[in-house]
Amino acid sequence: MMFSKSKIKNQKFIACTSGKKKYEFINPKDLTIKSGKDKEPIEITSDKSGFVFITWKNKKYQVEIIDKNQNQYEIAVNGVTYSISVESPFSYKRKKYLDKNVPVSKIERIQAPMPGKIVEFLVEENQEIKAGDPLLILEAMKMQNEIISSITGKIKNINFGPEDNVMKDDILIEVEK
Amino acid sequence: MKKIKSILIANRGEIAIRISETAKKMGIKVYGIKTLKEPSAYYLQFMDEIIDFTEIISDIPEFLDIDRLIYSIKEYNIDAVHPGYGYLAENPYFAQKCIDEKIIFIGPTPDAIYKLGNKTIAKQIASRNNVPLLEGSNGNIKNPKHAKQVAEKIGYPVILKAASGGGGRGMRIVESVDQIEKMFKMAQNESEKAFSDSSVFMEKYVKNPRHIEFQILADHYGNIIHLGERECSIQRKHQKLIEESPSSALNDDLREKMGNSAIQIAKASNYRNAGTVEFLLDEFGDYYFMEMNTRIQVEHPVTEMVTGLDLIEWQIKIAQGEKLTMTQQEIKFNGWAIECRINAEDVQSGFSPYLGTIEKIQVSKGKTCRFDTGVTDGSIVTPYFDSMLAKLICTGETREKAITNTLAALNKLYIKGIKTTIPFHKAVLNNPKFISGDISTSFIEKDMKKLYFQEDDEELIAAFWATINHNAELDKENETYVDYEKGKIITPWLLNKRLKSM
Repeated sequence: MMFSKSKIKNQKFIACTSGKKKYEFINPKDLTIKSGKDKEPIEITSDKSGFVFITWKNKKYQVEIIDKNQNQYEIAVNGVTYSISVESPFSYKRKKYLDKNVPVSKIERIQAPMPGKIVEFLVEENQEIKAGDPLLILEAMKMQNEIISSITGKIKNINFGPEDNVMKDDILIEVEK
Repeated sequence: MKKIKSILIANRGEIAIRISETAKKMGIKVYGIKTLKEPSAYYLQFMDEIIDFTEIISDIPEFLDIDRLIYSIKEYNIDAVHPGYGYLAENPYFAQKCIDEKIIFIGPTPDAIYKLGNKTIAKQIASRNNVPLLEGSNGNIKNPKHAKQVAEKIGYPVILKAASGGGGRGMRIVESVDQIEKMFKMAQNESEKAFSDSSVFMEKYVKNPRHIEFQILADHYGNIIHLGERECSIQRKHQKLIEESPSSALNDDLREKMGNSAIQIAKASNYRNAGTVEFLLDEFGDYYFMEMNTRIQVEHPVTEMVTGLDLIEWQIKIAQGEKLTMTQQEIKFNGWAIECRINAEDVQSGFSPYLGTIEKIQVSKGKTCRFDTGVTDGSIVTPYFDSMLAKLICTGETREKAITNTLAALNKLYIKGIKTTIPFHKAVLNNPKFISGDISTSFIEKDMKKLYFQEDDEELIAAFWATINHNAELDKENETYVDYEKGKIITPWLLNKRLKSM
């Protein structure tokens, strides 16, 4: 597998993970990754079935792009996924600035962790809740699951009713901190 | 009893394929059912004849539609029906209906299914035959107040279970008195939904037990043997994920004792065909009868791998009236087998179901590795069915070797397009406590720091792969030619092709 060499010299990228870790790559198309002081070569191969592998320091990894949206990538390595945003040094500075200066939202959104059907809500609007309180019961693949609040606050909105079907990541409840 | 010449497989997925393979080997013609929910399913490729259910409009799921199934069996003049697991496998009404219509039901008698399927009756059978039991409510719990009283008598923690349950549905562990009412209602509610029966019973909850089950074979002539144990302690929310045979917790004495108890239960219920007796085993070597499953089980391959027997073949043979040709003494166990259930689940977000299309699946089978799959390239994972896609079963002369072989096979098992439980299995098989054999049903909660396996540099590799692809994308934007496909999702494969041609 080949990536054509970049025409731009010393192009720097900063890959940020959802866990706020950052990795810097200069000219990634040179196919090397820094390991300590040394540059270690990377090999990209693909087999006849279309699986893509990266070999680095004698270890082989299966890689796959699960999803991408502009500079946001969801990458699977050996079946485990990572959310990565790829920034230029300039966009990285801006991102850092925004992270620091944009006020934190006072509303916490409780999302459906999986697709399923709502059995019942255990709370009402305007009710005060503590972290760890059960909020609702969601049925998925014939199992009933208790959805628990991760924060302390007040229920602002309940967006669904019993028997409603919800998709993964649907906002079920909004809690005011 | 007549020889079976044709079988309807009233099931789907890997078990439909598994049954079909043995039936064909025995010269039996197999019929399968095509449903609207997955009209191009992989299992259909393994059938001799396909019965089309796609045009039926009904609220009853196809594999639960007793009248329709019986009608089709009669219409096509099929000798027997194999229900697989789940669906109608443990429905006494269906088994009875087959007898009434002179169809061979490959499984036990309706009476045995009924008695053993009702946990309250099953416990009575066990206690009458001196098989050890956990203290419990001796019957169903009537209301929250009753639940409170019984729990006080037994002592917390207690567990609430659906009387008609199975597979962990309708089960709730209650640690203290303040949770009892809420948990009772939830157990009742879940039981009603899953089994149309809200009866719930209670028993003492044993902390850190092992789940040990014994495979039974019984013919029509009173011969009953056991094929050793399976350890299924690696479970999450009472759903099994890894099973092995034998168990590292049993020695020959305990195996004989538990095996005899299992045979005792089968004898007392006049059992025929294949069945499984489940026990809890505590840290002191004491065991307690849990339930008997009156069907072929998902994890039956580990028993097949160590005994060399084909359990589906024996199910069919017994159903057509053949005698068991081996005695208990002749059953020999060779080596160790481990099964990993490959489910379409996202381990990183609480094992939530992962839907999508399997673009590609690649497995390297070998002498020590068997892969029972219900899916292939292009299969779609829908929300209509269970999330289990396939089972990887590996063997070795010792447990250690079986673990090594399983890890090697997992490292060469690639599935593209969806997320699966493969990273979870790697984490378990690399866990020192699992390797030492020191496991219990709370292994996942107690002994696993991380539920999925990661190599040290995986995140770095992910970051690099995102960056190089982004880099290529940016370079392409700087080119002057018009990209007619712009806006479409670009796969690395396509990207690679394009880069080559640049």
